[in-house]
Amino acid sequence: MSRLTAMVPRTLGRPLSAIGGLLLLIAALLPWATFVLNEGAYPEKSTLQFFDAPFELTGFRWHLLLFGVAALVVTFVPLPSKGRVLRAVGWGGLAISLVNAVFITSEGGGIGAITAADGNFAFGSIVGFIGGLALIFGSAGIGLAEIPRLPDLPRVVEYLVLLVAFAATLWLVSETLTAGGSAGVSSPYAGAVFLAFLGMAGGLLGALHGVGVTGWISQMSERHRAFSVIVLLVCAAALPFTSAGTQYWMNVAGTVGIYAATAIGLNIVVGLAGLLDLGYVAFMGIGAFVSANLSGAAAAKLGITLPFPVAAVIAAVIVGVFGVIVGSPTLRVRGDYLAIVTLAFGEIFTRSAQNNVGDLTGGANAIPSIPPIAVGGLQFNEPIDLFGTKLPSGVMYYFLITLLVALVMAVFANLKNSRIGRAWIAIREDEDVARAMGIKTGKMKILAFLTGSMLAGLAGAVFAHKLGTASYDAFTFLQSVTLLAAVILGGMGSIPGAVMGAALLFVLPEKLREFEDYRLLLFGLALILIMRFRPQGLVPDRLRRAEFAGETPDGKPIEEVEEQAVLEHEHELESSKGSKA
Amino acid sequence: MTTLLQQIANGLVLGATIGLIAVGYTMVYGIIQLINFAHGEIFMTGAFGGLAVWRFVPGVKDMDWYFALPLMLVGGVVVSVTIAVLMERFAYRPLRNAPRLAPLITALGVSIGLQEAVRIWFPDADRSQSFPREFVKTQVSIGPIEVPATGLLLIAVSIALGALVQFYINKSRLGRAMRATSQDPDTARLMGVNPDRVIVLTFVIGAILAGVAGVLYGMHVQTLGVRAGFQNGIFAFTAAVLGGIGSLPGAVVGAFVIGMVKTLGGQYLPGGTQYDYVWIFVVLILVLVFRPQGLFGESEKVRA
Amino acid sequence: MRNQTVKAAALVAAGVVLLAACSTNKDESSGGGSGNQSSSCDQSKGTLVVGVIAPLSGDLSALGAGIKNASQLAVDQANKECKVPGYKLALEPLDDERDPTKGAQAATKLASEDGVVGVVGTLNSSVAQSVAPILAQNNILQISPANTNDALTKGEDFLKSPKRVWKTYFRTCTVDSFQGPYAANYLIDKAGKKNIAIVTNGLTYGEGLADTFTTQAEKKGAKIVTRQKVGENDTDFSSVIAAIKPFNPDAVYFGGEYPGAGPLSKQLASAGLNVPVMGGDGIYDKAFIELGGKDGDLATSVGAPTDTLDSAKAFIKAYDGAGFKEGYSAYGAFAYDAANAIIGSLAKAIGSGEWSSDKRDALLTAVGEYSADGATGTVKFDKFGDSTNTVLTVYQVKGSDWAPVQTGKFEG
Repeated sequence: MSRLTAMVPRTLGRPLSAIGGLLLLIAALLPWATFVLNEGAYPEKSTLQFFDAPFELTGFRWHLLLFGVAALVVTFVPLPSKGRVLRAVGWGGLAISLVNAVFITSEGGGIGAITAADGNFAFGSIVGFIGGLALIFGSAGIGLAEIPRLPDLPRVVEYLVLLVAFAATLWLVSETLTAGGSAGVSSPYAGAVFLAFLGMAGGLLGALHGVGVTGWISQMSERHRAFSVIVLLVCAAALPFTSAGTQYWMNVAGTVGIYAATAIGLNIVVGLAGLLDLGYVAFMGIGAFVSANLSGAAAAKLGITLPFPVAAVIAAVIVGVFGVIVGSPTLRVRGDYLAIVTLAFGEIFTRSAQNNVGDLTGGANAIPSIPPIAVGGLQFNEPIDLFGTKLPSGVMYYFLITLLVALVMAVFANLKNSRIGRAWIAIREDEDVARAMGIKTGKMKILAFLTGSMLAGLAGAVFAHKLGTASYDAFTFLQSVTLLAAVILGGMGSIPGAVMGAALLFVLPEKLREFEDYRLLLFGLALILIMRFRPQGLVPDRLRRAEFAGETPDGKPIEEVEEQAVLEHEHELESSKGSKA
Repeated sequence: MTTLLQQIANGLVLGATIGLIAVGYTMVYGIIQLINFAHGEIFMTGAFGGLAVWRFVPGVKDMDWYFALPLMLVGGVVVSVTIAVLMERFAYRPLRNAPRLAPLITALGVSIGLQEAVRIWFPDADRSQSFPREFVKTQVSIGPIEVPATGLLLIAVSIALGALVQFYINKSRLGRAMRATSQDPDTARLMGVNPDRVIVLTFVIGAILAGVAGVLYGMHVQTLGVRAGFQNGIFAFTAAVLGGIGSLPGAVVGAFVIGMVKTLGGQYLPGGTQYDYVWIFVVLILVLVFRPQGLFGESEKVRA
Repeated sequence: MRNQTVKAAALVAAGVVLLAACSTNKDESSGGGSGNQSSSCDQSKGTLVVGVIAPLSGDLSALGAGIKNASQLAVDQANKECKVPGYKLALEPLDDERDPTKGAQAATKLASEDGVVGVVGTLNSSVAQSVAPILAQNNILQISPANTNDALTKGEDFLKSPKRVWKTYFRTCTVDSFQGPYAANYLIDKAGKKNIAIVTNGLTYGEGLADTFTTQAEKKGAKIVTRQKVGENDTDFSSVIAAIKPFNPDAVYFGGEYPGAGPLSKQLASAGLNVPVMGGDGIYDKAFIELGGKDGDLATSVGAPTDTLDSAKAFIKAYDGAGFKEGYSAYGAFAYDAANAIIGSLAKAIGSGEWSSDKRDALLTAVGEYSADGATGTVKFDKFGDSTNTVLTVYQVKGSDWAPVQTGKFEG
């Protein structure tokens, strides 16, 4: 792509962007589908509806209109990094148009659905696509300047800015979750609407990134770390009060949270210490079974009932012991072999659980009917009333899981910035050198397994209660691979990355249910493509990005830096030669 | 006593299949230090290739077995080799210089992707497929035990092909090139060896064996599902490790041992057949921890 | 560079012209758009949804697809025959991936939609344990076509003190406590087998069935010579066969589904153990014979034989005619009956009025009183939610298909 865009001459930059913006605007007003599709009318009145009143537009057409206006404005306003903004807006518009074009075409049975049929014209998607392309080429013509650095502000103002930023993020998240409504018979185009919304969100975030806002906010949050953490926590807890506060989304968010917590634990083992673990979900499973056996479920053969916090702690301890057991023989094993050993342990766990080893796992019947957590008489699966609003059932689990994720994040962050964390990173980079530097690699590796497994065990205990069943088939090799994929997709060693990865892998199948037959195929393809094109993940840790993408921690490609160094060196040589001659 | 002999025989038959797959694993790991998780799927697609020839090529069903069986084998091998070459070219070659994790994850992705691709696009592959065994229906009795003729065929082919490949690697020019590349790729390149070609050749040889194994295995078990590759693949890797990664005879011997561990373990160790896989994994862990170079490997072959 | 730009521009222009010119290649049911339902029925009051929760991807997808397609057939027929006056019915199938977590999510999703009147599901008893409480909490009707675990309707202590667990949960299939002992009775009394080996594949279905079979068989005086377990995806049974051969069983009871049962039967015969293999409704499928079932193998299934029931024959004819990609497999007929039970009770509960979530209790009562002829026989529910159809049939493989050899009620 960059080879194509490099062909655009400077003079064409502005006109192309202006045309692009105009085209997006027109596309928003044009009809998008030539006839009413079999499943029902395409949303946002896209069928044969030419709008002459722009404010009546909704959904993706409204987004496209805003993009078009923004592009036009930015083209003519003296903004330092307008190239980047225009490029982001262009990609966003392109994505929206493409998604809708593909959906309408495939539902409508042919290109005629988006061009012309039976004497009707509906070129909206094509115009939008061309407009997006024009914007991208135009932005290349204008050139991509450096991202500007926005100024620091007085402390109170920065607090306010952070508050606004995080509240906006919360709003964006809840809108993304509910975009398109529930996929299903009542809204057959939910997948398309959701994807188009993602396109819009991507374009918006890209534009903000280009202007420098995202970098500014992340630096601010680094400066006021404690405040940011508190605000983030409050925002997360406020999710049930937004439009995503339904029983359904609380359930999904809760599951995402549990897997995110487990993924962060895995991040300790894989991301920090570099110990590839392919059987990690077994730790979660052991925690779940221990907690189930101590919960007083009818099928639990132990007959002991303990209150949840006690059971959870016991579960974490027992899982920690197993973590040490798994960790110790792996001390002498490295790299790929470590992966296979952990895989073997994981399979042993799954097999044994399936066979009801020690009568503790219920075998094929699992341990059903685990009672919900109850604190002070309040059952966690009941709806509650808080601040006058009625919150759906499952919200208590959501709050608990939010706290769990916060706890896990805190543990991770503290470890990462401590001596132990640095020791792990050293081991990950080169174990022999680390040992030569005096790090006790054996102890450190076991510590990694211990910590990681305990966190997973804790998550597993909550999981068992939330789901109400502890069954061996929730902890198979496929789940281990999914967890690993979440960590890698999000970015190894990075906390927001693990959460994003888990969120993506669990929310996408929910929103895009029309593809469920292809779910595993797409998953496999995604693994291949990510390792090929973006192995550092979506939200990479700065060091990891450097390692994978051939960049220095500041984000400059290594070749550039090296070239510069060579040039400088030559320059020095010349000037010294010159002075000598 | 009969049971013991019978289980040993069963173990050897299972080991034969695993051995053919293990050779591919050990060769690829020896040359580019990659655990090709998707090798089991090469085995599976080879089997489906043979099945496709039987089902879709007109006239095969009515042929005599000495025409049909080779045709099926050819079909299976063509499919498995194609998939292996594509895999190497598009999934693994771009990651030649990436950190260790990348090709491993990619291999996992390829494995999952292939299983699903076959399930979705091979007609009816959602359910198990029936695999013909028209040709070699007989049951051979050796003393008190019974072995199906397909089982004996598997053992014979496995040993024969293993020996053939070993001979090729030791005596031929390309084999020498392969050994050179696996010992020291840079020096090999200085000596005029094209590493890309050698690596593709390694994949091809591994795929041929896996494809043959797939078709014969399908005939032996008379049924085929898309998940058949995954489990056999893990056993094969265990066998390769047990025998010593990089050592071909080691892989074959290791495979026979693993086969017998499964059958004898399921028969005699506590837990019965429910835990037979567990014993294999226990063996794997013990080998990796206490003797990572395996039975026949050299210590220096163990890379970090 | 000038040349390249010109070439590129020309290409793009050509493309655009081409696109505009190639207007309608494939316009499905052009113009009218929603032309699939003949709207001769009054569908003015809106759409109501019947949900399906079953494994639609993964290993058991063939069984799940059968459930989904059969339910779709029932819904389509209901729309054509205007069974629920004033409303259009739609099917919403959700994949549970055989995973209790995903099942719970699917159940929560359906529970959050007001228009969902009932759910056909699940296939696996382990998933049902997570799905049923959620649906019950929202008072949503659930009828399972395939859960055989007794504890789902009668509680953990189902033999001695049965207690209804969820008043929203019903099922059209038979339960382990009937099917297993019925098979044992036949195998021991009629077929005269005395030394039986049991092989299961580790899943809930097979384990439960084998347990009840064992209890009854031992009561009848037969000996269970050994019980072995194989992996759920296993197709190579040589070691298990070698393990059971020394016991000299005269029959093998298999707890599991046909992908394993077929090859097992064939390999048993090849190994010299030419004894009949018997299983439950999980192996009662034509694919069992294709995969290796031999003459003399037996299976049990609920209901009288399909060719004695007009309603069953009608179902098979309609299913074949509907053109689904997958067959109805083991549980399609049960799913069809379950969906029809939901639809029929819905019609009764609404009458000529409107649907609202207040009507859910009336719907549950109507299901309790529902009685009709279905693809598996008489569809009716007892006070625990179990099917009252305790008629079971033993089928035997004869040639290339199953033939019924005994039909009757399970007496004890």
